[in-house]
Parts: sequence; C-alpha cells; structure tokens
Amino acid sequence: MSFISPFRFVIRALVFATIGFIIGSLLASLITGATGEPAEEPMLALGYAGALIGWLLGIGVWDVWAREWIGLQPRSLNAQSWHQYFRFSTDHKVIGTQYLVTFVVVLLLAGFLAMVLRVELAQPGIAFLSDQNYNTVMSLHGIMMIAVAVATIIGGFANFGVPLLIGADDVAFPRINALSYWIIPPVAILLLLTPLFGGFDTGWTAYPPLSTLGSSGTLLFLLAFLTFGLSSILGGLNFLATIVFLRAPGMGWSRMPIFVWSVFCAALISLTATQFVAAGLLMVMLDRVVGMGFFDSNRGGDALLFEHIFWFYSHPAVYIMILPAFGILLEVLSHFARKPVYAYRWVVASMFSIVLISFIVWAHHLYTSGMPDFLHIPFMVTTELISIPTGVIFLSALGIIWRGRLWLTTPMLFALAVVFNFLIGGITGIFLADVPTDIHLQDTYFVVAHFHYTIMGGEIFAIMAGIYYWYPKITGRMYNERQGRLHFWWMFISYNATFLPMFWTGVWGMNRRVADYTDNLADLNLIITGISFVMGASFLLFVYNMVSSSIRGPVAEANPWRARTLEWQTSSPPPEENFTTPPQVVGDPYDYGVPDSVHAVVSPSGGSSDGPAEGADRGA
Amino acid sequence: MNRDTVNVFFLWLVLTALGEFVILGTDLFSYPIVGAEEGHVVDDAFFFLTALAVPVAAFVLSMLGYAFIRFRVSGPDEDGPPVKMHRSWAIFWLLWTTGLTLFVIVHPGITGILEIRHLGSGEPDLVVETEGSRWYWTINYPDGVTVKTFEEDAEMVLPVDSHVKFEVTSTDVLHAFWVPAFRMKVDAVPGLVTTISATTIGLGNYRDDPQYRLQCAELCGLLHNGMDVPVRVVSVAEFDAWLAEKAVTAA
Ligand SMILES: [Cu+2]
Ligand SMILES: [Cu+2]
Repeated sequence: MSFISPFRFVIRALVFATIGFIIGSLLASLITGATGEPAEEPMLALGYAGALIGWLLGIGVWDVWAREWIGLQPRSLNAQSWHQYFRFSTDHKVIGTQYLVTFVVVLLLAGFLAMVLRVELAQPGIAFLSDQNYNTVMSLHGIMMIAVAVATIIGGFANFGVPLLIGADDVAFPRINALSYWIIPPVAILLLLTPLFGGFDTGWTAYPPLSTLGSSGTLLFLLAFLTFGLSSILGGLNFLATIVFLRAPGMGWSRMPIFVWSVFCAALISLTATQFVAAGLLMVMLDRVVGMGFFDSNRGGDALLFEHIFWFYSHPAVYIMILPAFGILLEVLSHFARKPVYAYRWVVASMFSIVLISFIVWAHHLYTSGMPDFLHIPFMVTTELISIPTGVIFLSALGIIWRGRLWLTTPMLFALAVVFNFLIGGITGIFLADVPTDIHLQDTYFVVAHFHYTIMGGEIFAIMAGIYYWYPKITGRMYNERQGRLHFWWMFISYNATFLPMFWTGVWGMNRRVADYTDNLADLNLIITGISFVMGASFLLFVYNMVSSSIRGPVAEANPWRARTLEWQTSSPPPEENFTTPPQVVGDPYDYGVPDSVHAVVSPSGGSSDGPAEGADRGA
Repeated sequence: MNRDTVNVFFLWLVLTALGEFVILGTDLFSYPIVGAEEGHVVDDAFFFLTALAVPVAAFVLSMLGYAFIRFRVSGPDEDGPPVKMHRSWAIFWLLWTTGLTLFVIVHPGITGILEIRHLGSGEPDLVVETEGSRWYWTINYPDGVTVKTFEEDAEMVLPVDSHVKFEVTSTDVLHAFWVPAFRMKVDAVPGLVTTISATTIGLGNYRDDPQYRLQCAELCGLLHNGMDVPVRVVSVAEFDAWLAEKAVTAA
C-alpha cells in the first residue's frame, strides 16, 4: 500500500478516465448508430473528451475545485512532500517543476526520435524505416519539439520564476494553473498512442486534405494538439493577471525584470492567437469525423483556408517560444556581466512591437502556396520589418557584455551561445522572408536548418541557460560546474556542426520531410548524421549532471550568483509562501555598479539579519 | 575612442574582409546548376543577401568574441560600469538596422519579384498542365500527349530557350511542383490552378545532374519522398519530334 499511496491520485485519474472514455464512446455510438453503423472516429473523439474530464477530476479537480460546485467544502492537495508532484497541487513552484521535468523528458524523447530519423537519412535510399514509419517518427518529433518549445519556458520557468521575480506568493489563479499542467499528460499519452492507431503522416502542420484522410492516428494527433492549445490559453491568461495584479509593492512597470516582461508579451500571444489554431484543428476534425467539408474543394471547401488559419497562430507562436528566450538571455547576461540591461526601455518597446508585427506576417509561409500574387510584397515587407525590433535585442545583448565583468559560468556560456546561434538563425530568416529566394528554399532543408537555429539554437540554448541558472533555486543544490561547462562546449560545437551543413543540403535540392534523397547529397548527410550522434550524446552528460547533483550536489546558498533580482533574496528552495514577509521594492533590479543602490528590502528567510538582503546592496 | 573600441573596429574589418573573400573567392557558396532565367534572379538575390549579411554578422561576432576573451573574470566580485545605454549609439543602431531592412525589402525583394513576374508575363511558348496525385504526376502536353510518372522511363521533356508555363493542380491532397534547377516552386492545390513559369536556358538532363527533376515539395503522405520524376531539357527540334512521336502513340 505504501508504494501505491503516492500515486493514488494518478491511479484514480486513470480509472476515472477509463469510465469517461466508456461513457463518451457509448454516447457517440448511440448518436452515429441511430442513422447507420456506429462509426469509429466519433467514438474515439467523444470517448477522449470523456476521458479527459475523468482524468482531470481524478487527479484532483474533484477535491480542490469541483466539490465547491455542489456545495461541499473543497480541500487542498498541497503538502510538504514529493507526493504532491503526482496530484493537483496549486503551488506555482510545484507546477513549474512539473512542467520542467515533463518537458525535459519530452525533449529527450523527441531528441531520440531525431536520432532515429538521422540513421535513416545517413544514406540515400530506404534503410530500415518504412515510409509510413518515417513519416510518423518525423511528425512526432515535430509536434513534441513544438510542445517543448511552447511550454518549457512559459509553463516551467515562468511558473517557477515569475511570482518569485515579482515578489508574489503565488500566481493569480492557482487552480487554473494546476489545470493547465494536468491537461498535458493526456496530450503525451495521445501522441504516444498514435503508432498503435496507424501513426500519422501530416507533420506537425496538419494540412488538410491530407489530415482529413488516413488512419485514426491522425485523429489522436489532432485531439492532442487541440488539448495542448487549451493548456496554452489558460497559461497565458494566468500570467497576464499575475503580472498585472500581484507585483510586490514598489515594483512599478519600469522596475520589472526583463524576463517578466518577456513572459508578459508571450502570454499576450498565447491568450489571443491560440484560438485560431484551435478553431482550425476543430474544423479539420469535423471534416474527418462527421464529414463537414470545410477544406474539401469537392464540396465547396477550400484547402488553402487552413494554411491561413494555421499560420495566423503558428507564426506568432514562434514568438511565444523566442520572446521569453530573449528574456532569459538578457537576464542571464546582465547578472553574469554585472551590468544593467542595456537599453531596457527600448527592449520592452521592441518586445511589444514584435508581438504586434507577429500578427501580420503569417502569409510568409504561403509565398508558394498559390495565394494571390499581390500579397507577396505586403507580407514580405511586414516580415522583414521584424528584424528591426529583433535588432534592438542584439543591441541590448552586446551593450550588456561590452566592458562588463563576464563570469563565464555554464548559464552565461549558454546565453552567449544564444547570441551566436540566433545571429545565424536571424540572418537566414531574411533569405526566407525574401520572396525570390524563398521560392527556391521553401520546404527545403534550408528551412529545417533555419528553424533549428532559431528554436533550438535560440530557445533550447536559452532553456539550458535557464536550467543551469535557476537549478540551485529550484533544487536547493548546486550542479557540477565542470560537467556543466563540458556539456556546453560539447553541445555547442556539435550542434553547429550538425545544423550548419543543412543550409547547403537545402540549397542543393534536398526537400524536407523525406526519408530518401538524391545521391549527390550522400556525403553531407552522412557527416550530419555522424555529428548529430555526438550532439545527442551530450544530453546524457546533461541528464547525469542534473540527476546526480539533485541527490549529491552541495547544498546551494540563497544567492550563489550574487544576483540582485528577488528570487535570489529568499532561501533555496524558497519556502511555501516564497518570502517570509512581503518584499518591498525600492529600486531597479539591474543597478550593478551603482553605489548604494538597492532593489528590494527583503527580510531574509534564514532569519540571520535584517535590512537589505545580500546582493541587493552590492556596489556600496 | 578607447582601445577596446578601436580593437573591435579592426577585428570587424578583418572578419568582413575574410567573409567577403570566402563568398567571392572560394566555391563554398557556389550554387547548383541553373536551368532557367528565373533561377538567375533567385541566385543573384541569394548572393546579394549573403554579401550584405557578412558585415552584419562580422560586427556581432567581433563584439561577442572580443568581449568573451577580453572581459572575462573569475567571479562576481566586481561590478561593471553602470551604463544603461548610450542614446546616440542606440539611435545610430536603430537607423542602420532600419535602413538596411528597407533596403533589402526593395532590393533584392521587390526588384526580384518584379523581375520574375516580368519573365513570366507574355505569351508562353508552351503550356504544360501538371496534376499531382498521390504519388505521381500527370503531365499534359499539347496535342493530347500525357505522361504519367509511374510509367516506365517516364520523364518531363521540355524545349530549351522557351518560356514554359506550368499550370499546376492536384486531384487529392496538397503537393508542390518544384524543379530545383529552375529554382521555381508552387503548390498543387485541389480545386485551384496555380501557375508558374520557367524560361529554360541550356540543355539539361537528370542523368547528368539531379537538380533536373520535378520534385514534390509539400508533404503528401506515404510515398511523398518518391514523388519525383526526371526532367530533360532538349533542343526545340528534338522536343517537337518527341512530342510528335508521343502524339502518334497516344492516338
Ligand atoms: Cu513565420
Ligand atoms: Cu506529393
């Protein structure tokens, strides 16, 4: 019993989910059976809806939330024990950690799938994967990595960090927060089940009519994507409210850490854009399941329509990924160069400009789609305009490190690498924004290389910087610095050596999403595959360092980096309410080198002394 | 100007010169064979953007690399100068990034688009209907000649020095018409006819260069990666003979 008891809510959730599935699919078979044979896909879809509700109730929505709806007293499932990670805890630090661990695991799984793809791509011809399996593995790799890119920072770091950075004791809507996390496991389960239902071959973009055909694996994928979108919307709502209403006394907008600004901007996009992709996916599903024909030209539908709806979300979505990565970047650079965030107000203005412009560039994914020619120039103009605010981020990054005191710890190395990688990702983006070059490069490995440079080289490297930076705060222990630096150099060099050659394979005629290619690209692909395995191996060192340090690492001080922001002015890990007394913000967070400057007055949770906390009074 | 600034300035000059040398003087940035006038427009745009990117990248890398080596310390014991920004430098930065962005929008962006459009305007010498189906192409020539690409030795034969217009559509899902040697690509959309032009230059054959192929470039399911067919560009006389022969067989 004692082995089961930590997981009793998970077990209850699985039982409830099964009951929900049976109810839902029975309902669907009754509806469809009334006019003919009971149909499989409606049963799967409604069954899943029932299972999702059952899962959520079982994991703790019932106890924490739903009891209230029928007049019973709700009860909290928070506790000072690791058991609370396996149920509906509303502590933002628990939820942040759940997100981080979950998505690091997804990252590793999706990375493993990439290795499988690289083996197949080592030589031309079909080596060991069937075409169907290649497409499924490729599509799974895509959607899993997209989920990692969307949710790791906003779900993980923002959850753990934002309340601490703004001096709050939790987020604005703790129960919605827990809900947004517990929606994720069903997404993962659906995706892992797709191979049993014939896989899916649409890529993560799910373009109809392809996505309205094929095996039921596609339906599972659509349901997963839709559910994930719901989580994203709820997360966005929560962070906006938290940042607007829960800042500590004295923290005016101009004293807010840049990471918090970046989360605010990303949350704006999550809240307002995700609905579009959700609507699009729902329409595809209705096409599939009940034959509505939104995208079927034989019945008055329009296949191109989906591409517009899809990218109307999915272009802004890349800024859900990259804006908070910029936030981590500038945050880490400032603390480890011991200089203020350069051009702080310009950076904030640029982030908002990026949010706005990101909504009017979507059709750059459609230059070759057959949309009217006159749209080419306007969308090229808006797309290229984004490089102006993005340039301000570079201005800030270089301004921070210039004549700073660069302490090259692992998080700092990863942050500097973000500048390097995103430089390549940004410049090659111009080639894809430019219509003449894009006509050739669209749907080739040039695109693959470009978005791996922005999303992996930019965001995943920023995530690595964030993991090492906040590791002592989250776990209360210090990671191994030597292993961290070794991981950095290993990953940085092998990453670049893997993805840089892909620009060439793209220009030289290799289209993306293929298991086979022309012989002239054999050598380059063999090299890429070889080095990609070196890169994959670097993650083993990372995992070893993370796991072993969390058990045996030296106990971390409250502020090992001597950073000024608020999360470092409380113990590692922080107590349940974050700060023993509410902090009072009295100055800028980044005033390194300013004599007598103080960011906030915090009574230290260790209770050793009063007055400004360590790090807040540096430069005196 | 202090020494660090001067050093970075020279580092930038050296890196820029080095980068431009690699682009101009080595064949690292060479392009695949070009089989259409439009391809030159694309390659010229690519080349121009690359040449323009070099000083920009060199500048960021100079500052990054120099700071990495010159400003490193071993601990958090000392703060850097509390510089929040230099107003004139920030404005200068905004001006040059804006200027450069507007510049590349006009050239090679808009100029390239107009040039490609210009090449595709006017009466085509040949219209080829290309229909994508899972997982083959149906290529319809004048005179009732049809090539289905799953047939034995199927190929798309085109006349040289001709303005060929492709009318592209699909019978099922999205596909894309792409001939790498032409650098031209357009999606095949069910219920819609999309068009693209190529003004062929020079003879070419898939057997000599794999860039001469019609490749499906939009994921279309199971056999997407095998949805390609050789392209052969031949003299006009040869093309006419080929078409006539095919027309006889078809009749
Ligand atoms: Cu985009
Ligand atoms: Cu196809």
